[in-house]
Amino acid sequence: MIAGLVLLAGGAAAGVFGSLLGLGGGVLIVPLLTLGFGRPLREAVAVSLVCVIVTSSAAAGAYLRGRVANLRLGSVLALFTASGALVGALVAFVIPERALAGMFALLLAYVALSMGRAGLRASRPAPVAVPVDVDAADAVAVGTGTAEPAIPGPGPEPAGHLDGPDYRVRRLVPASFASLGAGVIAALLGVGGGVINVPTMNLMMGVPLRVAAATSNLMIGVTAVASAIIYLLRGGLDPYLAGPTALGVFVGASVGARVAHRVDVRVLRLLFVVVLAWTSLQMARRALGI
Amino acid sequence: MTIHEQRAASADVEHVIARLLLGGAVAGIVLLAIGVALMVLNGISPVAETFPAFDPRTLLADLAAFRPEGFLWAGVVILIGTPIARVVGELVTYTVRGDRILALVALAILGVIALSVVAALLVEG
Repeated sequence: MIAGLVLLAGGAAAGVFGSLLGLGGGVLIVPLLTLGFGRPLREAVAVSLVCVIVTSSAAAGAYLRGRVANLRLGSVLALFTASGALVGALVAFVIPERALAGMFALLLAYVALSMGRAGLRASRPAPVAVPVDVDAADAVAVGTGTAEPAIPGPGPEPAGHLDGPDYRVRRLVPASFASLGAGVIAALLGVGGGVINVPTMNLMMGVPLRVAAATSNLMIGVTAVASAIIYLLRGGLDPYLAGPTALGVFVGASVGARVAHRVDVRVLRLLFVVVLAWTSLQMARRALGI
Repeated sequence: MTIHEQRAASADVEHVIARLLLGGAVAGIVLLAIGVALMVLNGISPVAETFPAFDPRTLLADLAAFRPEGFLWAGVVILIGTPIARVVGELVTYTVRGDRILALVALAILGVIALSVVAALLVEG
């Protein structure tokens, strides 16, 4: 009973923090389940993927209704992230758990560093005013992308009918490879993959940041499905663990999205950098067996 | 079809898909909530050492018997099925509208998902 409540609260906290800071739930859920509850990393990743699907479906629906996401571009890139996720989920079952923990520690350190840099940037004049309320917008909050709108205009390899009303999509081929990598990482570590998707679309393809974050959100649902199926059918998904956690994430993300405009994200971000750094250290210890 | 016509057509598709995604997410969450409530009633710990394996053949029986795992698995299946349904919707829409490239992309995504199922079953075997 108490464990269930803690899981529910932990999931809700992940949902709130995720929606306020635009971070993927996986960055929080996987450490919660592994370090907090001592569950195997692969089991935690499987649960996290279900949570990614929950937040992606709920938020992507809202984004599509608001006509923010580029559905056509999202579909094309999702083909590559899903392919990567298929590979990543299969590889996850043969990689030693300690290696996975090491990779997760590196991911956490990267997100903490990026978020810290974004915090420093935000403390300067002309703050970025990008609403972040979803899993896929990782890079929006962590600052791996730029808030500057993409410059419409010609670029190499224009993708024609994938363009938006006020921007042109370019460099589809290299972006497809990046998406493939994002899929592998998402499936291995149980994260959304927005950390790679958003900068790829924004910086490489010239898609405005807000559109990139929304489109990424749309993509991560399909990406997570391709790998979640493998975890599900291989007996790697614990429904007793997934139920309360996903429920908490859903409630937390809903609450976070509603209070986002009333919260001072700068303080929250600072706190989060510390939490991520500490969690990264714990994951590194787990990887090293100390 | 011109780019402007494609964008107008996309608006309709996006509206339908948005409703589908939100509906699927809510339906899945409601089932998970019932499953969690049944877990509490049955005194099942979420951090138990063992957990029931997913078996589609027993899903309906578990639901009829109000077993928590039935509702939890049904919720998970609906959640996983929601983005898949979205891609199927895209495939149908793009095919009807004659957008062959995106229809092929949607078909390829479904192919990757199908490959996931096959790969999981083969590796398991």
